[in-house]
Amino acid sequence: MSHTANRDRRIAAVFLIPAIVVLFATTIYPMLYALWLSFRNYDLAKPFIPRIFVGLANYAEVLTSKAFFHALITTFKLMAMTLSAQLVLGVGIALLVSQKLPGMALARTLLLIPMMISPVIVGLVWLFLYFPELGYLNYFLGLVGIGPVPWISSTQWALTAIAIGDIWQWTPFIMMGTAAALQSLSPEPYEAARIDGNSRWDVFRYVTLPQLKPVLVSLLFLRAIDAFKIYDIIFVLTKGGPADATEVISLYIYRQSFTFWRMGVGAAASFVSLIIISVLITLFFKQMQRGQAARAR
Amino acid sequence: MTPSLREKFLTYLLVIIILVVFMTPIYLILVSSLKPSPIMFSRPPRFIFTPTLQNYYDLFTMRPFHLQILNSLLVALGSTAFSLTIGTMAAYAVSRIKHRRINDVAFWILSMRMFPPIAVVVPYYIIFKTMGLLDTPLALIIVYSTFNIPLTVWLMKGFFDEVPEALEEAAQVDGHGVIATFFRVTLPLTAPGLAVSAVFCFIFSWNEFLFALMLTGSKSQTVTVAVMSFWSSDAVQWGRIMAGSFVILIPGVIFVLTCQRWLVKGLTMGSVKG
Amino acid sequence: MSSVTLRKVVKRYGQVEVVHGIDLSVEEGEFVVLLGPSGCGKTTTLRMVAGLEDISAGQLEIAGRVVNDVAPKDRQIAMVFQNYALYPHMTVRQNMEFALKPQKLAANEVSARIAEAARILGLEPLLARKPAQLSGGQRQRVAMARAMVRTPKVFLFDEPLSNLDAKLRTQVRVEIAKLHRRLGTTVLYVTHDQVEAMTLADKIVIMKDGHIEQVGSPEEVFAKPRNLFVATFIGSPAMNLLPAKVAVVNGAPVLVANGFRLAAPPSIVSALDPGASVTLGIRPSDIRVDEAGDYEAVVEVDEYLGTEVLLNLRAGNHELVAQVPAAARPAPDRQSVRIGFDAARLHVFDTQSGEAIR
Ligand SMILES: Nc1ncnc2c1ncn2[C@@H]1O[C@H](COP(=O)(O)OP(=O)(O)OP(=O)(O)O)[C@@H](O)[C@H]1O
Ligand SMILES: [Mg+2]
Repeated sequence: MSHTANRDRRIAAVFLIPAIVVLFATTIYPMLYALWLSFRNYDLAKPFIPRIFVGLANYAEVLTSKAFFHALITTFKLMAMTLSAQLVLGVGIALLVSQKLPGMALARTLLLIPMMISPVIVGLVWLFLYFPELGYLNYFLGLVGIGPVPWISSTQWALTAIAIGDIWQWTPFIMMGTAAALQSLSPEPYEAARIDGNSRWDVFRYVTLPQLKPVLVSLLFLRAIDAFKIYDIIFVLTKGGPADATEVISLYIYRQSFTFWRMGVGAAASFVSLIIISVLITLFFKQMQRGQAARAR
Repeated sequence: MTPSLREKFLTYLLVIIILVVFMTPIYLILVSSLKPSPIMFSRPPRFIFTPTLQNYYDLFTMRPFHLQILNSLLVALGSTAFSLTIGTMAAYAVSRIKHRRINDVAFWILSMRMFPPIAVVVPYYIIFKTMGLLDTPLALIIVYSTFNIPLTVWLMKGFFDEVPEALEEAAQVDGHGVIATFFRVTLPLTAPGLAVSAVFCFIFSWNEFLFALMLTGSKSQTVTVAVMSFWSSDAVQWGRIMAGSFVILIPGVIFVLTCQRWLVKGLTMGSVKG
Repeated sequence: MSSVTLRKVVKRYGQVEVVHGIDLSVEEGEFVVLLGPSGCGKTTTLRMVAGLEDISAGQLEIAGRVVNDVAPKDRQIAMVFQNYALYPHMTVRQNMEFALKPQKLAANEVSARIAEAARILGLEPLLARKPAQLSGGQRQRVAMARAMVRTPKVFLFDEPLSNLDAKLRTQVRVEIAKLHRRLGTTVLYVTHDQVEAMTLADKIVIMKDGHIEQVGSPEEVFAKPRNLFVATFIGSPAMNLLPAKVAVVNGAPVLVANGFRLAAPPSIVSALDPGASVTLGIRPSDIRVDEAGDYEAVVEVDEYLGTEVLLNLRAGNHELVAQVPAAARPAPDRQSVRIGFDAARLHVFDTQSGEAIR
């Protein structure tokens, strides 16, 4: 055995094993438990029905249910709304506040605050703004002749209302990542372009954007993974309603498990969602590894 | 060459509008927390009034908010300490082991943080119930570690990668073992990383809602769940909600204002250079 | 009509003034090199000409037009940067196309210019590559090609060779010289390497601490340095300096330097004040080493360089370096040699002001 392999083994034994054991116990085990549940008829509302093995029945129910697909579509709709807005706004704001002008560093810092606020608080403050009859938002929109908009009380607007809250909290994320990437670009090509007289749009389109692209892709993946899990803000604002207008995957699982107490069905839906998100995560990791390889060169 | 005056003016105008939009909700939390209930929703909204601490007084007297703060602190600090210990060691392993599959291990660890919490809430509930851990801080400490350990591993891996291995080799040539080298040479050099990881773990635990809601009862309720409960009770206690919210967002705001340059690293798992 | 003219150009960063009122004119087609130690303001000056830095005071003309407030793109210049500033995600061809885009040329004109530049600089096989797939020297040539296709009135170079290894540097240096001969475009070139300056320049501008010390052809700055700074900065190995006094013997001024009594250069005899403190400058190549020499010197170290030998000598209190052809190398066992000086080749500086006495 080579000397380095030997050393690897010692480091692994002492340093790595504890984390792996802990993560297995706290993450893999509950997931396997969910898998086990998903094959059972585990219905807390009907305690007298034995919790028997039902094969793929729960999966069959989930995959044929309209509500599940509606939740899936709603999740992706919300993802599309928030990601596109966050991308455009985030990059735009980053370009604006990355200029070397006094005060811009402070603006960049202040804009980071929303990200570090608990999603529940974000939900609550937007609830405060949207609140039917009383909310400030409609009052101010009224001043400029808009509205009143039934933000969270109409099926038409509720998803938008949630999207706005999420956009408010996470546009800074794209802004921050983009600003960091902008800073790491070397200034010389920009000076060359200024001497050559390339228009600003051309410089952005052909010099900046291509260099930002890998970073933007990574950031969007991270946002997509988070958007797929979105729960807290919806729980606070609409609890999935009105009707099922804002019922995303997480809320669907929540409702199956804790409103109808059908743990087996909830677990089956959970597993389907784990598989979907695994795809997203795998794609993201591929992108990250590409980035690492590119940087190593 | 500096931008023209008109460009500067436009830039500042836009930045100010953006700041107003993004800061208003936070400002509203503060203002509303100091507002007497009767004028909470007055039309037009009042921004000039005699501030009152009544909401804060109520917050701590009508319910034991200080105990909930203690619960949150206990959970957040507990999970931070645990995750930091386990995670830092794993990070070191991931950074130093040369085996070509070690990257897969690192990504596996990271993926543990990305799965939807809702998918494992039910199993946690059942498991903790059988273990008698429901409504205890320990349950949350364990659960929060599932996302704090991967976070620590990835943050600290970045810091360890930057400690030159020659330093460790020098220590080993001098006759120190793997563990002594780690504690005496490498770890002290990554102190800033430890601090940053600790703060991230703390904030994420402090802010967490879903697990806290599902796995705690009245005994070990945390601040986020407590604030939400002012909403679910008969009349909405906006004053107390805003006072509680303000208390909850303090650590995050302090963090942003003091360590903003670390946020990129922590929130993007190193997929963006900070 | 000169191509670039600086009149009392000043650069300030906040309170700090780093360029103190420079006057300089670059004639049409001239190759002018800004030379000076690190931090003397060469880059700053060049960037003011490019328009990348604002001019704090003074006036800048390019092709007879005042361009202080003209945007870089409208100055009809092209610049080659120290780190080349190639667009990393574009191929060599795209880099050149992008530089030409603002000129809105017809497509066939664009490809003709690119083909021409590629041919001249030998880039034809590399047009489809990206900068990361090129060697340092190739990147350098791409940067020049990109500047060339724009057919500017003035080329600006900021230490274009400093990232290349010694051998490549010599090669590319020759290429730059050829390119200039061929295109005849005005060039303003920044470097801190005197060999580059001497070999490339029609005119060298020697700077120090934000001032111009001397402007002249390579021959002039070498043979007639205006002051001690220029005298010691130009020439390698550096000029020997000896403190001396002006004495009068038989009515003629003589330079007395601790054991040496040297006749004054005939051209400056009238300018020497008896009793004045001066500094003598003697280039190592101007020291004669032969039996006819007037003074005895001990060889402390001799450094053999192939075609020539550097002798580190001690003569009385003086330490001198002499440069002699390898053929004239004293036998290794020779402890001492005889040396002599040629009055016409002495440089004499006023010790107080450092200025050359003429
Ligand atoms: N942005 C700036 N702010 C303040 N001072 C500056 C700035 N840029 C340059 N300087 C100062 O101006 C002086 C001249 O700098 P410059 O870059 O022109 O030197 P240089 O002659 O090109 O040197 P080098 O050979 O090292 O490149 C230096 O003392 C430098 O510290
Ligand atoms: Mg320079």
